[in-house]
Amino acid sequence: MTENSPYRVRMTGISKRYHPIQVLDDVSLTLKPGEVLGLVGDNGAGKSTLSKVLSGAIIPDAGSIEIDGEVVSFASPADARAARVEMVYQDLSLCDTVDVAGNLFLGREPRRRLAGLSFLDEARMHAEARAMLDRLGIVIADTRLKVENLSGGQRQSIAIGRAASFDPRVLIMDEPTAALAVAEVEAVLDLIRAVSARGVSVILITHRLQDLFLVCDRIQVMYEGRNVAERHVSETSIEEVVNLIVGRKFTARSAGATDSAGVTA
Amino acid sequence: MSDGAIKQQVPSRLVRASWHEKAVARGGVVSIALFFAVVCIVFSLATDAFLTTPNLLNIVRQSAPLLIVASAMTFVITTGGIDLSVGSVLALTATLSAVLLQWGVPWPLVVLGLLCLGAVVGAAQGFFIAYEGIPAFIVTLAGLSVIRGIALLITGGYSIPVDPASGFNFIGRAWFIGVPVPALIAVVVLAVAYLVFNETAFGRYVTGVGANAEAVRRAGVNTRLVTLMVYVLTGTAAALAGIILASRLGSGSSNSGQGFELDVIAAVVLGGTSLFGGRGSVVGTILGALTVAVIANGLILAHLSPFLTPIVTGLIILVAIWLNFRLFKGGSRSR
Repeated sequence: MTENSPYRVRMTGISKRYHPIQVLDDVSLTLKPGEVLGLVGDNGAGKSTLSKVLSGAIIPDAGSIEIDGEVVSFASPADARAARVEMVYQDLSLCDTVDVAGNLFLGREPRRRLAGLSFLDEARMHAEARAMLDRLGIVIADTRLKVENLSGGQRQSIAIGRAASFDPRVLIMDEPTAALAVAEVEAVLDLIRAVSARGVSVILITHRLQDLFLVCDRIQVMYEGRNVAERHVSETSIEEVVNLIVGRKFTARSAGATDSAGVTA
Repeated sequence: MSDGAIKQQVPSRLVRASWHEKAVARGGVVSIALFFAVVCIVFSLATDAFLTTPNLLNIVRQSAPLLIVASAMTFVITTGGIDLSVGSVLALTATLSAVLLQWGVPWPLVVLGLLCLGAVVGAAQGFFIAYEGIPAFIVTLAGLSVIRGIALLITGGYSIPVDPASGFNFIGRAWFIGVPVPALIAVVVLAVAYLVFNETAFGRYVTGVGANAEAVRRAGVNTRLVTLMVYVLTGTAAALAGIILASRLGSGSSNSGQGFELDVIAAVVLGGTSLFGGRGSVVGTILGALTVAVIANGLILAHLSPFLTPIVTGLIILVAIWLNFRLFKGGSRSR
């Protein structure tokens, strides 16, 4: 499979219409193994919709998805998970009153059998959770802490760590650094680097443009449901990305900062 | 990178929890343990009869139905649900056990059949709650009405006697190694409830469903089945309580267990289990149920009006919960 295609993910001609609005119009997206792609665009540009198509939460009207050269069609998030596409939902994936290890292993707790009955193997769960956190460089003092007592950044790290532990091929993160303190943003970005260094392809949706330049290899800009540009991080600047996001009309005003050739339809 | 070096020098931020922090973390259980201790000390000093072995065993024997159903109710409330029908299920099984024994059905069969009936009633209510999405309060309120109605219909409002010679009476009246059998049954049920709640995946999912059902569902757990199962637990526990009650009293009455659901819910909430779900404690429930039982027993021994019981119980519920919110604020962080 992998030999046929250099791409981990290849989405082509994805369209989705919610009655009067064409949310996605012939959108394409490619992603290589271990690559971090920043997906940006104004509110309503379609980036979340596109990521939901890839994670199986939304079924597109048209278009095809290939993963490692194999054509797939996802009817549900479970299908996407089976193809090892994981999406991190910040607030939807953690149980506040359950401890860190319990959250990391939710739904697949290690068990031990005692007198023919199945009990939780707490010792193994905490040991493996500790190893999992250390491997990804996530700093949590104690895996017995309840998640409600952690900071926003630690919670986000646990949500990402949990998704990463499913050994995904693709990890989609929607605004993982929104509403985090500065040091916590750094920790989450470190975590994204650590995950991609393990060969996981990452799609990062964010409004924090400075983050893009710290972790992404490539940036794809969407505007009103269409792809408008794709840039390697080394070949672009924040100013150019801002212009691409807000659309052509502002190009002239900030033309001093970048060359106008940056704007292509 | 330089920040890597900095991070390594940062000492562990894990500070060993002081007894006070530990107490706050288990706020609900600690405050009810205090109440339980205070109530026991007060009645020990105020009456001679309270702190005697026969009286203490009597308390456990009388509170066995409450303890059994409250331990199951802990699961329901921890998922964020409620089961108002337990008193009615208790009445139905109490009357049916008397009726079936009159028909000559062997008593082990009666016990087994009624436990199954309780489970089926619980499953039926659980189906509407978990699979049809109707609020538990409404489904079990309907259950409360319908099930007691059936019990009344069967008996015509009369109490039906159980043959005193039947082996059935052992369940509620016999003593085994110096302990009343209902107390032994309650201890076994409580031990199983504690193990299931704290040491099994099911217990973990019960807490998870109460905290964030969507997260548990996304983790691949059949959350609807978990929700249905907790109502099967309360249904079965209420049936067991009905059997014990009929056996102890020697008759099955369709009027038994009126207001029982409120005692059960009071015991669970007193024990620090959150009505909003996600936070529960079987140990707290045991202490809560025993506190309710001790108050009722102690007031009678102190020659005070038994009608003071609901007043004192109600006040203690209010004060205990108020303490949880104020004194032990950290433990029950509002969301």
